This record gives sequence, structure tokens and C-alpha cells, in this order.
Amino acid sequence: MNFANVLLVFRKELTETLRDRRTLLIMLVVPIFLYPLLLILVQQLAIFGRRQLEEAPVTVVAQGAGGELLALLQSDSSISVEFAAAGTISSVQQGEADLLLVVQQPSDEHASGRAALYYDATRERSRIALETTTEHLEAWSDSLLMRRLAAASLPESFAEPLVLADSSVATAERMGGYALGRFLPMLLILMTLLGAFYPAIDLSAGEKERGTLETLLTTPVPPREVVAGKFLTVALVGISAAVLNLFSMLLTFRYAAVQFAEAADMQVSLPWSTVLTVVLFLIPLAVFFSAVFLGMALRAQSFKEAQNTLTPVQLASILPMTLPMVPGIPLTYPLALVPIGGVALLFRELMTGGAPPGPAVAALVATIFYALLALRFASRSFGREDVLFGVREAPVGRRSLGQRIAGWRSGRRILPTPAESLGFVAAVGLLYFYVGVTLQIRMGEEGILVSQLLLLALPAVLFAVLGPYRTRQTLALRTPSPRALAAGILIILGGMPIGWLLAWAQSLFMEIPAEFLTALEDLIRAETASEILWLLIVVALTPAICEELVFRGVLLQGLTSGMKAGRAIILSALVFGAFHLSIETAIRFLPSAWLGALLGLVVWRTGSLFVSGTMHFINNGLIVLIVATPGLEQLVMGPNEQPRWSLVALGAVLLGVGLRILPKRGGSLVAGEVLASER
Amino acid sequence: MIEFDNLAKRYGEIVAVDSLSLKVAPGEVYALLGANGAGKTTALRCLATLLQPSAGRTTVAGYDSATQPLEVRRRLGFLAASMGLYERLSPRELLSYFGGLQGMTESAIARRVPELIELFDLTSFADRLCGSLSTGQRQRVSIARSIVHDPPGVVLDEPTLGLDVLSSEAIQRFVLESRERRCAVLFSTHQMSEVELLADRVGIIAHGRLAAEGTIQQILELTSETTLSRAFLQVAKAGR
Repeated sequence: MNFANVLLVFRKELTETLRDRRTLLIMLVVPIFLYPLLLILVQQLAIFGRRQLEEAPVTVVAQGAGGELLALLQSDSSISVEFAAAGTISSVQQGEADLLLVVQQPSDEHASGRAALYYDATRERSRIALETTTEHLEAWSDSLLMRRLAAASLPESFAEPLVLADSSVATAERMGGYALGRFLPMLLILMTLLGAFYPAIDLSAGEKERGTLETLLTTPVPPREVVAGKFLTVALVGISAAVLNLFSMLLTFRYAAVQFAEAADMQVSLPWSTVLTVVLFLIPLAVFFSAVFLGMALRAQSFKEAQNTLTPVQLASILPMTLPMVPGIPLTYPLALVPIGGVALLFRELMTGGAPPGPAVAALVATIFYALLALRFASRSFGREDVLFGVREAPVGRRSLGQRIAGWRSGRRILPTPAESLGFVAAVGLLYFYVGVTLQIRMGEEGILVSQLLLLALPAVLFAVLGPYRTRQTLALRTPSPRALAAGILIILGGMPIGWLLAWAQSLFMEIPAEFLTALEDLIRAETASEILWLLIVVALTPAICEELVFRGVLLQGLTSGMKAGRAIILSALVFGAFHLSIETAIRFLPSAWLGALLGLVVWRTGSLFVSGTMHFINNGLIVLIVATPGLEQLVMGPNEQPRWSLVALGAVLLGVGLRILPKRGGSLVAGEVLASER
Repeated sequence: MIEFDNLAKRYGEIVAVDSLSLKVAPGEVYALLGANGAGKTTALRCLATLLQPSAGRTTVAGYDSATQPLEVRRRLGFLAASMGLYERLSPRELLSYFGGLQGMTESAIARRVPELIELFDLTSFADRLCGSLSTGQRQRVSIARSIVHDPPGVVLDEPTLGLDVLSSEAIQRFVLESRERRCAVLFSTHQMSEVELLADRVGIIAHGRLAAEGTIQQILELTSETTLSRAFLQVAKAGR
């Protein structure tokens, strides 16, 4: 890479960006003026509210209040007391009064009086009336108590046998950090995102719209150098916006603290080391946002289209930013890996003075990794002619849904495209999540059977048969050779202990919920032969057919039509892992993805769903048999629920032999090759 | 200098350019004519390395646009029909920027930029932002930008589109001066008078194919017409 070119593009883009009023507004004006203005506004509103209250006191309709209590209420200028022989609740409901106070005075020196307060919780003035009146009632109650104690010659301590005193041992700095840590991470990340948002669109889709990108790409500078220069600009603007925001917020809070925070015993400031660390962590995050936005905006043909494309991404990014605001979520290894969320949690931990080093490093490494991925995505978008000129879009104009379906069906081809197969799996996945899970909760094991058959197998078969594809290729229905079958069996027998090892290793970082484990064991526990047979049908045979049709059939075959085999297998495995996620836990993701990768590899090489179906059946069936057979579980698993190392070693050998004898990919039924030959 | 050799460009089933072959020699001005959507811009974009050919090849000074794009870009000045300029840069900054992108040294840029400003009469607005320039001024800046590196080949896609007579004249003068400097000029246009004034040879493209080629006289003889406009109409209609 020629860094002189990168620097040249960067300098030019920065010059133009700094001359753009919109970017300057986000980057400079908002951080410098927004927070002080907000503070002034809040103060002014508070003063205005107080004045309003003073000028127009709340109306309290008092019934039964007299003597000392009445004098107390009347002495308060913020309350206007009206008397009523029989006040009505409706006067409060209709807003004529702010509070109805019904008092039943104590009948004698030993009796208790009663005070009922009726207010409208949806009206601010009514709530203020409640608060003020309650204070007076408590004061009156205290004075009555004091008089009764004095009459009985008892000390005040008689009525208060225990004096409670609580005090926080947190220092004022830590209190300030705690308060900042709740919302500052979200604001900082949001401002980084917003800072990168407009420049990313302007430097990509905007440049395309103005017709300058075409000119730029006729210069002898490789696209990666152009994209690097643009990306550096966007990242710098994003980081600058965040840093300016950080300092402006801290200064504003420091000023506010002089007025408000002393009462709350907090010092609203952060140590310089924390500020510096936060800024350092913002860099990969800004890189991530910049690259994602650049890559996506480049695919849009206009500024407006880019805005429409990026807005959902922007909204989706806000969700993980809110993690630090949720109480009781610490920065753990799994959470450190959550894009954006990991860094947000880390910021909170840094501000409260206790970031665990391991997860902190994990969050940094993960963010750098995501940033590099995003950068690669952006770089690849650049210089592609379909991205430059939008030429892949067929000039079809507006078509009705019926016309689109007819058009889809008329375009005969061998396999679905990656987008079609992913769209199909997304639809089936949603259906399974909403309908299938309900069926399983209501019907139990029968629900699994029904949802697998009706919501997975049936749609997959209909998609392959009714769609404009060749059914056998789309569902990979090739008859396997005995060698392919033998290889598949060896691979799954070898892969299973390694899968268990992965699950065990994962459980060291991610706790398995006890309820989840119990429910799973209950599901696959069988005692009689007929129960075992039924379970084998429900949890082994049925998924071996239905899930294979969807994931190694439609999905994998569709993916291989448009991407390299390795990527298609990995992507289908990740989707398969994601399908096994549940609301309670993500623990099944990794082992399922591992299984999906093995099955995907075998189907890619053999073109046969029969082999992967057999493997899937063996995998699930063996688990049922191990759980059902007394003593077998102990033989397989060690004392710490980890698979015995001897078993893992045997598995590795079997896996190696299976992979060695697995037939090489070939033959006319293997879809991708047919497609290539017919092009 | 510039050569199209059986160039084809397809988008799915749509054929934008089909078996296009033509050559432009140094010091020659070649006009590419064609109706809207005939494939002129696509062909020029393939030459300028912006599009990959589906078949065939294009070369500039012997360098292949598809396999040696950087070498081609160093030897070609390309003016796109979109006339895009950076709105927040001045013409002087823009020319310096593109000089840098073309790999020119700072001293070479410092010499070349004032030359171009004078050549295209940009002095009065050389330091104003491009966003505030008129269409004619923008087009002059665009052409100056495309030849900042003094390339031996120039491609102009509809260079006088939407310009007034004065601005068009400046661009026509530039084309004639380029010919004198032994530069190969390939331009597309809808202005027949411009072709008659500038072009040594003409190619008429219809539905992606080169339907007729030759000097203006040869085209008139081929079609038995008396004006280039009528000859063009005849060839374009026959190509349907």
C-alpha cells in the first residue's frame, strides 16, 4: 500500500469534511454547546417550575382537618386549603382540586387518628400536593407523639428504640464514577456513531451521487488506498466527535457539580488515566463504525438511499449501547465479545474503577477483530462495478407481488441464490420461533415432531419443488456410495467427543442454567425400550430428516451457488448454531455450529443429504442412548462433566480417518459444478 | 494509442456492447456517435478501467484496461459525462489533488496547475469553491482535471453537453490543440456540428455494435446522404 496516496486522499477528505457545515455541527457545535445549553435549560426549567408553584399554589380540599393541622397547612404558601364538609374524589379526578384530604382526628390521647389522601398520580401538581401535605401530616403526627410522651413522662427515645443510620462507604469520586458509568458510555458511543455517520455517507454515496467517484477511480490509485484515506477521515471525525463530547460533558458536569452534587456526596469527574483509556478504546470502535458505514453507504446509489440503509443499522447499534444501564450485568468474557456492548460495559467498569483485565482485553481484541472485518467489507465494496454503477439491478420498474412471484418462478435455474436461501431460512426460523416453540410448550414431544415436520421439512420440500430450481440438487438428494456413508459415520463418531469438549470448554466461560439442563435431561430421559424408541423417532430421526432438508439442503446448496465452499459451509454452520439458540442460554450455539460444519463439509463433498441425515441421527441417537443407559454416562464423561481425554483422542483419530476416506467432491449431481458448466 | 478489440459487455441478458473494435492513433480525433443507450458510455468506461469487459479487450498504449488498469490510468485522461467536481474544493485545490493522485511531484504540480488555469481561462474563479461555479466553468475545470497529468490519450464523454457557445468553443479549442500535441482523442457526442469541426474519423454505434466507421466523407458516401445528421439517423435506424 502506498501511504503517500492514502495521506493525500485523507488530507483532501478532511479538508472537504471540515468545510461541511453538517459535519461540523455534529462534530464541534453539538459537543461544545449542547451540554452547557442543556444544563442551563434544566436549571431554568426547575426555576420556572418552582415559580409556577409559588405563583399558583396547589389546591388541597381538606375534610375534618382542624386546629393544629389546619394551621400547619395554612402556614404553607404553596398550598391553598379549601374546606369541604364532604369532599368528593371526582373533584380531584376532574382537576378542580389537586388533593382531597380526609382526616379523622384521634378521639382521645390514646387513640390513633386517620388521614386518607386522594390524588391523581398522572398530574404533576397533584403529586406535589401529596408530597407537601404528607410532610405536614408527618410533622403533625410527630408533634402529637412528642406531647403524648411528655404527658406520660417518657423520654423521646421511648418511641424510637432503634435509630437507623446508613452511610455509603464509597468515596465521592467513586460515586461520581458510578453515576457517570450508567449513561456516559452510551452517550460516548452514540456520539462516535453519529460523528462517523454523515461523513461516511458523504464520502461514499454522496461522492457517487455527485459523480466524482467515477473520476476518482480513473486515477492510478488502487481502490484500497482510496478507501483507506476515506476511512481514516471518517474514523478521525468519529473519534474527534466522541472526545470533544467526553470533555464537554465532563466540564459541564463539573460545573453542575458545584451547584448540585455536593448534596449528593459525589464528585463528578474521572481520573485522567480513565479518560485516556476510554479514548484509546474509542479508536477501534470508531474504526468499526466508520468501516461498516462506509461499506454499506458505498452500496447505495444516493445520499438518501444510504441514509435509509444505515438508519436501521444505527438503531440496532443503540441496543447494545444500553447494556451498562441495565443493573446487575457485569463485564464477563461472553459479554466482552458482544459488538459495541462489550466496549460499553468496559467503559462503565473503567469509570467505576474496577475493570477486570481479562474481559477488558477480550473486549479490545474482539472490537479490533470486528473493525478489521468491517474494514475488509468496506474495501471490497469499493471498486466493484456493480457497487459503483448499480448495474446489477435489472431495469424492471415496479412490479406487483404476483408479478414478482411469477418472475421468480419463470427464471429457471439449478439452485437458489444465497440471498434466496438465506431469506427462506430466516422465514422458516421465525415461523419455528413463534409457532414451533408454542407447539412444543403446549404439546411436548409431539409438538417437536409436528413443528419439525410442518415448519421445517414441508416448507423446504415445497420451496425446492415449487421454486424455479432443480429439486434433487437443491435438496442434495444424491445416492451415496458405501465409502461416503462409512466416512460420514466415522466423522460423526470422531466429531462427537470433540463437540462435547467444545461444550465443556464453553461452559467454563458461560454458565449453563440449571433449569435448562434439567429440562433437557427430562426431555431425553427414557426408561423403557418403547420410550427409547419413541425418543429416537422424535429427537433423532425427525431432526435428521427435517433439519437436514433446511440447513444442508436449501441453505447450504443455495450458499454454494454464490460463494466459495468454505465460506458457505461456515455460514451454514453458524446459522445452524443460531437456530439452536434459546432465550435461556446460548450454550448450544458452539456445539451445534461444530456439528453443522461437519455435516456441511460431508454434504459438500458427497452431494448427499442421506449421509448427513445418517450422521445427524447417530449424533442425536447416541446422546439419547447414553442418557438412557445406566453407567454409560459415567463411562463417557469424566468427574467434571468433561469428556474423557482418551475418548477425545479416539475421536480425533476417527475424525482423521473419516476425513481421509471421504470422497473428493465430484460428479454431475453436485450442484455448484452443474451450475458452473451451464453458465 | 487507443484500441478496442472485439469488446463485449453484458449485464445478465442485456448486451450493452457487442464485438466493438476500433483504433485511435496518436494525433487523431475520433468521434463516437450513437443514440442514448447505444453503449457509448459503457464502452468508454471499459476503456477507462471502470468496467470489466465480458469479452474482448481495450488497450491504451498497449496496456490492457482489465489486467493493467494502473498503467492505463497513467496514460489516459477521462472526462465522465457526470461532470462531477468536489463542491468544497477550489479548482486550484482540485487540480493539485488530482495531480497528486496521478503521481506527479509537488514541483511538477506547482508548474502544471497554473498552466492549466491559464489554458482553460480559470483565473477569475480558481480559488472559489467548485460548488459555486456555473455549468460552463465546471466543465472547463473538469477537462483541466482530466489532463492534469498530460496523458497521451484523452477520452471525453459528451464534453459539451449543456454548455453555452462560449464554453463549447473553449473545449473544442482544447481538442484541436490536443491533436496538435499528437494526443489521441476519443470523444462521444450528440452534436453533429462539433463532429464536423473536430473529428478525423467517426464511428456510429447502434445497440452496442459499431454500425459504421470512417471519415465524414466516407460515412456520407456509405449512406448516400448529404449531411452527417441524416447519415447518422440512417445508420442508427438500420442498426435496430
